[in-house]
This record gives sequence, structure tokens and C-alpha cells, in this order.
Amino acid sequence: MANWIKKKEESGRKKQKRGFGKGIKEYFADFVSSVKEGDWGTRASLLVMGSGFVARKQYVKGILITLVQILYLIIFAIYSVPYLSKFGTLGTVKMEQSFDPITMQQTTNDYDNSFLILIHSMISLFLLVVFVMYYIHNIKAAYKVEQDARAGRPVNSFRQDMKEMLGKNFHFSLLTLPTIGVIVMNILPILVLVAIAFTNYDQNHMPPAALFTWVGFENFKALISNGGMTITFGYAFWKVLSWTLVWAVLATFTNFIGGIVLAVLINSKGVKYPKMWRSLFVVAIAVPQFVTLILVRNFFRDDGIVNTLCANAGITDFFKSIGLLGANMNYIPFLTSKGWAKVMIVLINIWVGIPYQMLIATGVLMNAPLDQVESARIDGASKSQIFWKITIPYILVVQGPALITDFVRNINNFNVIYLLTQDVYTTTDQMLANSNAKEVDLLVTWLFRLTNEYYNYKMASVIGIIVFIICVAFTLVSYSRLMAGGREEDYQI
Amino acid sequence: MMDEKQPTTETSVQAKKTSVHKMKVTYEERHGMGRKQKELIGSILKNTLLAILAVIWLIPILWLVVTAFSANPGISYTRFFPEKWTLANFKRVFFAPDSVLQYGRWFWNTLVIAVFSCAISTAFILMVSYAFSCMRFPARQGMISFSLILGMFPGVLSMIAVYFIMKSIGLTNSHIGMVVVYSAGSGLGYLIVKGFMDTIPASMREAARIEGANELQIFFRIMMPLCKPIVVYQIISAFLAPWSDFVFARLMLNSGISKDWTVAIGLYNMLDKTLIHNNFAAFCAGGLIISVPISVLFIIMQKYYVESVTSGSTKG
Amino acid sequence: MKKRAIALAMAMIMTASLAGCGGQPAAAPETQGTETPTTATTEGSGETETEPVVEVAKADDSAVGNLIAATTGTVKLTVWASEEDQDLTKKLIDGFEAQYPDVSFDIQLGACSESVAKDNVLADPTAAADVFAFADDQINELVNAGALQEVAAAYTYDVSKENVAGSVAAATVNGKVYAYPMTADNGYFLYYNKSVFSDDDIKSLDKMIEAAGAADKQIGFELANAWYLFGFFSAQGTDLYARLSSDGMTNECNWNEGVGPDIANALLGYVNSGVFVKAADDASAVSNMKDGKYAAIVNGTWSAAAISEALGDDYGAAKLPTFTAGGKEYQMSSFAGYKLIGVNPHSEFVGWSMLLAEYLTNEESQVARFEARGLGPANIKAASSDAVKSDPAIAAIAAQAEYATPQRIGGNFWDPAKSLGEILGNGNPDGTDVQTLLDNAVEGINAPAAN
Repeated sequence: MANWIKKKEESGRKKQKRGFGKGIKEYFADFVSSVKEGDWGTRASLLVMGSGFVARKQYVKGILITLVQILYLIIFAIYSVPYLSKFGTLGTVKMEQSFDPITMQQTTNDYDNSFLILIHSMISLFLLVVFVMYYIHNIKAAYKVEQDARAGRPVNSFRQDMKEMLGKNFHFSLLTLPTIGVIVMNILPILVLVAIAFTNYDQNHMPPAALFTWVGFENFKALISNGGMTITFGYAFWKVLSWTLVWAVLATFTNFIGGIVLAVLINSKGVKYPKMWRSLFVVAIAVPQFVTLILVRNFFRDDGIVNTLCANAGITDFFKSIGLLGANMNYIPFLTSKGWAKVMIVLINIWVGIPYQMLIATGVLMNAPLDQVESARIDGASKSQIFWKITIPYILVVQGPALITDFVRNINNFNVIYLLTQDVYTTTDQMLANSNAKEVDLLVTWLFRLTNEYYNYKMASVIGIIVFIICVAFTLVSYSRLMAGGREEDYQI
Repeated sequence: MMDEKQPTTETSVQAKKTSVHKMKVTYEERHGMGRKQKELIGSILKNTLLAILAVIWLIPILWLVVTAFSANPGISYTRFFPEKWTLANFKRVFFAPDSVLQYGRWFWNTLVIAVFSCAISTAFILMVSYAFSCMRFPARQGMISFSLILGMFPGVLSMIAVYFIMKSIGLTNSHIGMVVVYSAGSGLGYLIVKGFMDTIPASMREAARIEGANELQIFFRIMMPLCKPIVVYQIISAFLAPWSDFVFARLMLNSGISKDWTVAIGLYNMLDKTLIHNNFAAFCAGGLIISVPISVLFIIMQKYYVESVTSGSTKG
Repeated sequence: MKKRAIALAMAMIMTASLAGCGGQPAAAPETQGTETPTTATTEGSGETETEPVVEVAKADDSAVGNLIAATTGTVKLTVWASEEDQDLTKKLIDGFEAQYPDVSFDIQLGACSESVAKDNVLADPTAAADVFAFADDQINELVNAGALQEVAAAYTYDVSKENVAGSVAAATVNGKVYAYPMTADNGYFLYYNKSVFSDDDIKSLDKMIEAAGAADKQIGFELANAWYLFGFFSAQGTDLYARLSSDGMTNECNWNEGVGPDIANALLGYVNSGVFVKAADDASAVSNMKDGKYAAIVNGTWSAAAISEALGDDYGAAKLPTFTAGGKEYQMSSFAGYKLIGVNPHSEFVGWSMLLAEYLTNEESQVARFEARGLGPANIKAASSDAVKSDPAIAAIAAQAEYATPQRIGGNFWDPAKSLGEILGNGNPDGTDVQTLLDNAVEGINAPAAN
């Protein structure tokens, strides 16, 4: 068993990464040597990208590539240039409208919209980088074909190229569409938002009526500096960050452990109808989360049904007598006071999350390494020894990576916090209130309200970047310790 | 009833203790005389514990169900079970669409969006997983690491940029746009499927290659049948996503025209502050109606889920 | 004409409060009153200051004809009205379309509550509805974001003269009218149970607490809601204010000065009585009122139907009571609220949108709105009908109007004041010094807008 894990770790560490800087150097060195050593066809590719292939009689490929080049140049001229030319200022012409009361027509000037300039400049820059990379790659490819032709190796016809797209280059066919999707839905928006962190885009500078512009690191400064009661972003940030981390740890581990316990319990000997029990728990998560969470929020209102029942049953008074409630509280502030709300949120999250974890843990348990269990049993190990020495380590190994992704997901767990606390929880910390934050906020819910209710995009972007950095740093560190590179190879023997 | 919610952690900690304790006892006293009796007691204890836990888990759901049948259209603060029972909420939700509450339309819209985005995102995920799991190419490790990092950017933040990008291609306030939003970035969610494919022995693909099959054929003829449980799991979870997203949907479908909404936006808007008096029971009815098919899917999925999460590890 | 008198009185009060803050140009006090406080030092508004009333010019009669002639294709418009207003608005839109038989319309009706219109509009003004209803507290942010078309001219009725002056003032920013008044009832007042309180009791909060305590009932007040909390701190005769400063973004508030701490202590005293309690939100206040747990709440006309139905003959509505702080009695103030209809300047058909907005807010439409939903009209003639006057909720809001202040306050007011209310409503559990509490809240309220 232990060897099994060790082997995994070793195989992971064996994988050495090629130096990043070295890679870049090689990349450009290859390009330069291709140009230097290539013949006229390869060199002509610098101007007309397809010429290298045409020279090698790969006409279709050559023409297609040239068409791509022409298309890009047209896009660059018509689409990119107008936006990129304003990228430095993000626009200078403010919107002006005038209404003629006699004709009842509105005229609007040809104004600049800073946000659109930013977005389209980012898209243009992205396209530019992609094109340049492709351009360099193209020269190298042309040189390679030249070498092949010179050495008398067969040069692919277009038909063969196409065939390879289903064979050895199948990954191109597979990854093209998903990659485009990810670029549009993830990469471009992230680039835009990273850029916004360096602008003054907030409610005073909202397009289309107003312009915003670059401010450098001002927003980051605002986040780390603390200026008394009025500029409280620094204060709020550390408070929210620490609760976010506490929450992520609590939420991840309570669910993880609870899920295993429940799965073990359901699968243990003596439990009748395990399928039925599982289904009962699954029903609780089958209702969409926003419905259950809104429901639970109303369930635990200050004047809600749980409070009514608690008051009738004397529980409220009991809490008062042991000092859990203030003397003049005649209800339990489940979701409205700091301490109670944090505990309740974690508990409700257990309620929401454990059924999922239970399903996963059930799957893991059912596939526990039976041979090892068997041999341990023959060796005379007790059941609890087997459980702690074999089953638990096994679960940890299998579930380790999932634990990390769960942790990251909990840092970004928008739904649970937002739906449980929005419109319900009011902070009593003035310094938090002044930055529109609450004690129960995660960084993501805070930044969501900053954008959605206060249009403070610049600070939201700064916070978003920091969340991102935290998650990435955490994952990189823990993956390198836990996951160890090439896990897939271990299985695919 | 109300105190059961409170001690959830204690109970589950208790549960753990009991089960561990139980094992020890059964082992140590394996040869003792009261073994059968002990097992019986253990079994009763376990089943009771499970019953208590199940009740805790189902109370809010029960509240949803009974409130859906309540004659009081608002929230009741004092009673768990409604004073008077009625079917009027379901009737209202289904058969009496007013200009805002158009549940039937929302249901249909969501269904269409869910079907298409499910098809596209399942396809994307399978494609990415196959490429990352079964093929070796230079950029592979880099792409895997990069996509892992990419997935960590808080989605709620990039929303506004996504909105304007979609707007510039004219896809806001359109269901096609919603399908794009739900499925275009789905390639990043390949981890589970890839993990499953990783457990399928490479020798099977090797054999097919030797017989002259190309990657496309391997993909369809060998991998797909083997991946059935995870594919089913993937299909169901992709299908479920549009039913519960209200944040993105509200931003993208912002014309305010109620017949364009999805179920999630519609239900969420029903609980607007001024409307909650009139709509809470109807909200519960609407929530209950979507939960029924979803529960069925979930219970079906459960089987595949359990089967697929790590089923390969024994094969490997 | 009662309404007009009230508006005038209101104007006087505002003038008085303005006079206190100094830095005003030396204009006649009466003229300032009808303006919003924001105009005072803002550039460009200087010319309009000397005019007696904000006036919307009556447009040339040929204008509508010009518009019809210039319209060739289908006029596509989107209208946002609250969910409760859908049926009525649909009917009104049909009436509007019938007025111009030669023009082909495609008018879509969307649902968007007036209270959140700003959020939906500001997310992307170019995609928002052409004509939308909103609550007047949002007007500054909407105007700042360029999301409201100036009402440069009136075509079918005189917007500035036919509506009560307060509502026109509420639709005015920097001396320009930006919206069409729709209702004049978006403020708050007292709902009470007649079987618990006598007519005399409801004049003073102290007496009400006594009476409610005797009947074992509670009085619900949304303390953790800056909108309502304002009623205590900016009470009549306290010299306390919370209002928009001249830059149109930040606030000036002095709740921590003068009798501010006395008021906070008074509130703590009321809360500690156990009778005067913090209501969680609107829904819970109303529902507790219906259930009989609360004998009185402070709320607005939107709850009138629900409460009067539940209480029957015991249903009562009145102006807000007085309260005692530092040994002195003060009359509670309130925010005067109006619902307005605005036109989106990004509309493709601004002209038609303006005509539609006028139609939706003209006298007949306001009467129809009162008849269908019991909403108090802003139109002077509509408001003076017997039916309107005899409505208890609308009578109560009219009585409260004398003590009400138009809602001109920047975005930084809400969260800090809400937290202050939450702390007071919980009986100040940490025992923080009241002066410190107020200082902190005021510092937050007055914080620079772009923090």
C-alpha cells in the first residue's frame, strides 16, 4: 500500500519541466535560423505566408494559408486599427446628445465608448499575438517542409494532411472548437477585467455617458492603504479575505469528512436498503440550489417558522439563559448576527454539500482496493485497522486532487453565500459598511455586489485578480505536493 | 422538529464515532457469545441514525412541498403545515399565465436551452478529455496546466465582459446566446471525464491502432462505449446547469420581457420584495415542478455517478 | 388644492434647511425651494435659479405632426413597468396606439420593479427599455449616467403645471426636468390597528408603546433600513440633515451633532422596551401586521390593500407620530417619494417614447392607476377627486407630506445608515458609545463617492 503511494509520488517528481526562459529562447532561435537558412520559398513566406508551401507543391495548403493572412490583414485594418489607436487614452470624445423639440428627433455625436474601446482593443491585441505566433510557426513549418523536400522525404499532399487531422493530428480537430469557446468565454473576459483594474472605471466614469482612462496602480494602492473610516477597502479586504479562507477550509473539510462518514454509514453492514437511503439524500440536492437556499433563508428568518417554533418550545429562552442570546433578543438571529450567521452558513452548506460528497465517496469506497483489503485481512488486521490504514489513505489519494478543486470552488462559492445573506444580513461594522462589505461576504460575493449594485468595476477587478492569485498559488503548491504530475500514466499501464 | 436542524454537526460527528466504535466492537467481540445480538443492535442504531439524518435533510424539502399546496400565497411565519390546502398554486403556475408569470414558457425556454447546451458541452468535454487523456502532443502538458489555472478565475467577475462581447455579436436577449454562454467555455470542465479515460488501459487503443483504426474510429468505437457511465453523468449534469443559473441568465436576458426568461430568472424575480406576499407559494409550486424531473434524472445519474467517479481504478 | 399647499409648505421647509448650510448664491428663498438642493452650486444651473418654477416649455403644435410624417417604418418600443402594473400598462399602451392610427407600433411590455429600475438600466443603458418607471430616489444616478432624456418640451399636457410641485421637483435635477411624475405616494406613514390605539395614542410614539404594551402587541419599524431610519434622525426641529451635497454625488450629514446622540439614545430606549421592535423587512412587517403580532407598522401605500383587507374595520392609517428625545418632543420626518416615468436617451425613437411617457402619466392614466391599484396620483386634478381624498392611506401620506423631505441622497448614505439602524435595533449589543456609533456612521455617509 505505502509503496503504491510512494511510486506515484516518485513518478511525479521525475517529470522535470523544461525551463520556461530556455523554451522562449529556442522558439525565436528556430525562427531566425529558419529565415537564415531557408531558400527563396521559405523566405518569401515572410511576405506571402503560403509561398513556402506553394514552392513545395502544396498548393491548396499554401493558398489557404495566404487567404488566412489576407483575411487577418483586412480585419486588422478595418477592425483593429480604429480601436487600437484609441487604446492609449481609452477615448477622448464625450457623448453629447441633442433633442430637437420641433422635429422630435434626437441626434447623438460620434462619441467614444471607453469600455468598447477596451474590449475590442483587447480582442485586437489577442488576435495580433495569435497571428504573430502563427506567422512565426508558419516560417518554421515552411522551413521544415523545405528540409523534408531537400532530404527527399515525402511531402504530404493536402489530402494526406486532412487525413492526419483524424489520425496523428486528431487533437487539432478535437481541440479547435473548445479552445475557441474558452478564448471567447474565459480568456478574453479575463484579459478585459485585468485591464480594468488599471483604469478608473466606476460609477463616476460609466460609459456610454462618461469616459474612463488608465490610472496605473492607484486601485491596488487603495486596497492596501488604510485611510480611517472613509477609505476602508484595505480594512474590509483583510476581513473578507480571512473569512473567505476560514470558510473555504471549513466548508471543504466538513463536507469531505461528512460525505465519507455518511457513505460509510450507508454502506456498512446491517443497513437495510442502502439505495433507498442514498436516494433520500439525493432528493435534497435535486431541487435546484437557488430554490432550496432561498427557501432555507426564509425558513430561518428572524421572524420565520424555526424561530416561532423555537420560541414556543422554549429554546429561545434557554439560549438566553445560557448567554448565547442577548437579554433583549426575543428571537434567534440565525442569519442576521455575525456569529450565528457564520455557523448557520457552514451548517447549511453541509446540508447542501454532503449528499454530493456522499455519492463521490460511495463511488470511491466501492472501488476500494479489494486485493489489499483481502491480504490485510489474511494477515490478521482488524476491521478498524483496515479502515484507517487502507481505506482512508486510499480515499485521500484518490480524492486529494478533488479536495483541492473543492477548496478553490468554495473560495468562489457564490451561490450559498449570496442567496443566504443577500437582503438579509446587515453588517454592524461601520468600516465594512463603508466599503459595501459584510462580515459574511466572500471575496466573490463582495465583488459581485460592488459591480452589480455599486458599479465599482475597478475595485472589483482588483479583488478578482487577488482571488485569482490566491487560488492559483494555493493550487500550484498543493498540486505539486499532492497530485504529482503524471498520475494518468500510472493507471494506463 | 426545530432542534433537529441545530445539532447537525454534533449528530454527524456522533455518527462517525458510532460507526467507528461499532466496527471495533464487532471485531473484538467477534468470538463473544452476544455477537448476533450486538449486530442486531448495531443495525437498529445505524438505521435509526440514518432515519434521523434523512429527516433533517428532508425537512426543508417537505416545507417546499407543503407550502406549494398552501392556500396562503405568502410565507407563513408561524405554521409549518398550511392552514388550508389547495392546488391553486399549480393551477396558477401552469394554466393562468399573466403577463409576468409565464411558467410554461419559461419551462420550454429552459428545456430548449438545456438540450442544446447539454449536447454542445458534452461534445466539447469529451473531445477535450480524449485529446488530453489519450493523445500525446507537445503542447499537452502546458494546455492542461493552463486550463487548470484558467478555471479559477471568478466567473461572476468576467460576466460583465462576457455580456459586452456577446452584445457586440448580437447574442444578448437570445436563447442562442444563452446556449453559447452555457456551453462555449465548457471545455475547461474536462477533469472528471479525463480522469475516467485515464483509467482505461492504453493497450486497448494500441491494439486498435495496430489493426489500422484511426483516432476518430478509436474515439467512437472503443472509447465511447467504455465511457458510457461518465458520459451519462456528464450529459445529465450539463443538462441541469441552465435550470439553476440565475446570475448569468438575468444579465444576458435583460429585456425584461417575461416570455423570454428561463425558469431560474422567473422564479427568482417572483420573490422580489414587493411580490413575496403574493408569490411565495407559487414560487414553491414552481420550484417543486422543476425538481420532479431533476430528481428523477439525479436518481438515474446516481448509479452512473457512483460507477464512474473512480471505477477505473480497479481496472488499472 | 390641498396638495399644492402642502408642496409649498415643503418647499419652505427645504428652504429653511438650505439656508442653514450656507454657500448659497443670494437668490430669493422662495425660488430655491422649488429647486432641488443639488442645483445650488452646480455649474450651468445658475440661469435657471432665478426662474420661479421649473417649467417645461409647451412645444410647437406642429411637432407631433412632424414626427408622424417623419416616421416611416414600425415604431419598436420597450416599456418597463412593475409586475403589479402590467395589466394596466398594457391597457394604456393599447390606448396610446389607438391615438395614432396611421403609425404602426410594436410596443413590448417588460417587467421591472420601480425600486430596482436603476440597477437594470445602469447595467447597460443602451440595452434598457425606451420608457421605464422608477422611484425618484434613483434620478440622480440615472441622470449622472446619462440614462434619462431631458423633458425639453411637453406635447400633450403641461408636465410641470398639471402635477403637484413636489413631484416636479422630484423629477428635476440641476434645474432641468428629467422625468414624468406618475404617482405621489412613494413615501411612508403609519399603519395601525384601531382596536389597539385611540386617535390620541397615535399622535405620540410614547403613548403608542404604552398602549401596545398594554395590549401585549408590538410596533414594527424597519430600523435597519436607512430609508425609514431617516424619519427619526431628520425629525422636525432637530437641525439634523442627511442630504446630497452640491457635487451631486457625495452626502452631507450631521446626525452626530446636536440632538443626534439624544435621538439614538431614545431609539435604544424604545427598543429596550420590547414593544418597539426592528422589523426584518417589508414583507415581514406587513405579514406580522396581518397576523396581529404587530399593532402598528411604518410602511407605504403599496401595502395598503393587504393591510386593510386583513384588519377590516380596525384598519387605520395616519401621519407618523412624535417621539421624545432628550426630554423634548419631535415630529418624525420621512422621505417624500414619487414614482416617475423616464425616457431612455439611447432609444431609437426618443420622440415617440416621450409621447408615450406623457400618455402614461396624463390625468386619465393617473386616474386609471388609482382606480386599478389605489396609487396616489401626482396629477393635481386626479389627486383632488373625492375618491382619492377619502382613501385612508393616501390621506395619511398627504398628512405626512408636511413633514416629508424629498429624497435627495447619494449612494453612500444607505449602507452606513443601515448598519447604524441594525446596531440600534439590536439594542447596541457591544455597548459602544453612542457618539462613536454616530460619528462612524456619519463618516461613512459623508465618505467621498469614489472610494
